[in-house]
Amino acid sequence: MPGVRRSLDAADEEELVRRTAAGDRRAFDELYRRTSPWLAARLRRRCADDDVVADVLQETYLAVWRAAGSFAGSAAAGSAVGWLWTIAANRLVDAFRRRARLAQVPPVPLTETVAPAAEDEVMAARIGQELEQALLLLPPELRQVLRAMVLDGFSVRETSLLLSVPEGTVKSRARRARIALREALS
Amino acid sequence: MTTHPTLAVLTRYAEGSGLDDATVWSVEVHLEGCPQCRAGLAGATTDGTRALLDRVAIGLAGGIAAGPVPARRRRLWSAVHRRWLIWALLPWLTMTGAVLGCAVLLERLQPGLPSLVLLLAPVAPLPGVAVAWSRRVDPAWELIAGTPAAGLTMLLRRTASVLALVVPVLVLAGARSGVSLALVLLPCLAFTTATIALGAVIGVRRAAAGVGVLWTAAVVLPSVVTEKLPVVLEPGSVPVWTVAIVALAAFAASRADGYRRLSSHN
Repeated sequence: MPGVRRSLDAADEEELVRRTAAGDRRAFDELYRRTSPWLAARLRRRCADDDVVADVLQETYLAVWRAAGSFAGSAAAGSAVGWLWTIAANRLVDAFRRRARLAQVPPVPLTETVAPAAEDEVMAARIGQELEQALLLLPPELRQVLRAMVLDGFSVRETSLLLSVPEGTVKSRARRARIALREALS
Repeated sequence: MTTHPTLAVLTRYAEGSGLDDATVWSVEVHLEGCPQCRAGLAGATTDGTRALLDRVAIGLAGGIAAGPVPARRRRLWSAVHRRWLIWALLPWLTMTGAVLGCAVLLERLQPGLPSLVLLLAPVAPLPGVAVAWSRRVDPAWELIAGTPAAGLTMLLRRTASVLALVVPVLVLAGARSGVSLALVLLPCLAFTTATIALGAVIGVRRAAAGVGVLWTAAVVLPSVVTEKLPVVLEPGSVPVWTVAIVALAAFAASRADGYRRLSSHN
């Protein structure tokens, strides 16, 4: 049906979620096709176990299918992609919690200390020269905590579950990272 | 973040290695807001990720087929409807209206009889009250009975909606047959309060049935047979009914927590 195809192509993710809430299976498939590569790539950077990532993806999209109405119903709820990430992040924390109970914490990929390549300096999508330098000077465990709490939006408890460190360690690492960044930026 | 990452950066992001942290963070923040770069990332996914996504798609199809359909958006009025008026009440209220209509007709046809509207007014809302929170009639009774909102307040809300529908019909019928409005409405209210008060002790259905049968046997039948207005419905009994309403309301309020007990047979 070329008419439906065109209208689906033109729809943005919020529109796709609204149609999914109405029970439109094609809109849901289109949403999956568009957002799952991004979600999979982001999740794989936080969890090195592919089975856990597959479980989290499946639970996330099932939750999207069943509860799309809760996003569509709220008037100004932000972007659909942000909502998707929130669901996926919560499912990720749940998966880690379940595994921690069984003492089989999935491995987290180690952050690498890679020096920025020369060509990256040509790239303009950066967050600012000083901030970046300061970030790269941080030890990797501080960077992990910062990424979980600032970029992914996890709470202290969820971060401690994800990285399998005690909550006190998470808080102290966050504080150290904050102090180091402020020093580097001042 | 206005400029887009290059394809090389996206490929390295998809592969999971080869990028320093600051670049990764900036790419991730950008991807959250840019559909074109997400499409570019989709084009640059590795085979391993594609296999993973196919696996997930199969599992998803199974999960969707096995599970419930998407929950519809909750409309505001559906919550109001469930708290105030359930559809199961409508047939009973229609019956009440029809009975009162017949009473008016009978009064026209048989002017010798005492006013049937006056005699039937007290028991008119009782079928509605009995059905308002009834195990047999409401299919969602068990769900509602388990919620914190169940109990006297919910019964009062639903009774209020029953009264809101029955009282205008009573007023109309009373105006048609030319009887005093106070004598029509006050006994009606008193009997509703009595049903609610007794309902806390023996169950609303039994209370409504008992009160209705008692009134019919003790007042309506003798009055119809002897063709005299009963003493309790004389114009001078208005203060008595008012006092009765207040007393029964106080009794109902004092036994309110009977509605939350299983022993109340509700």
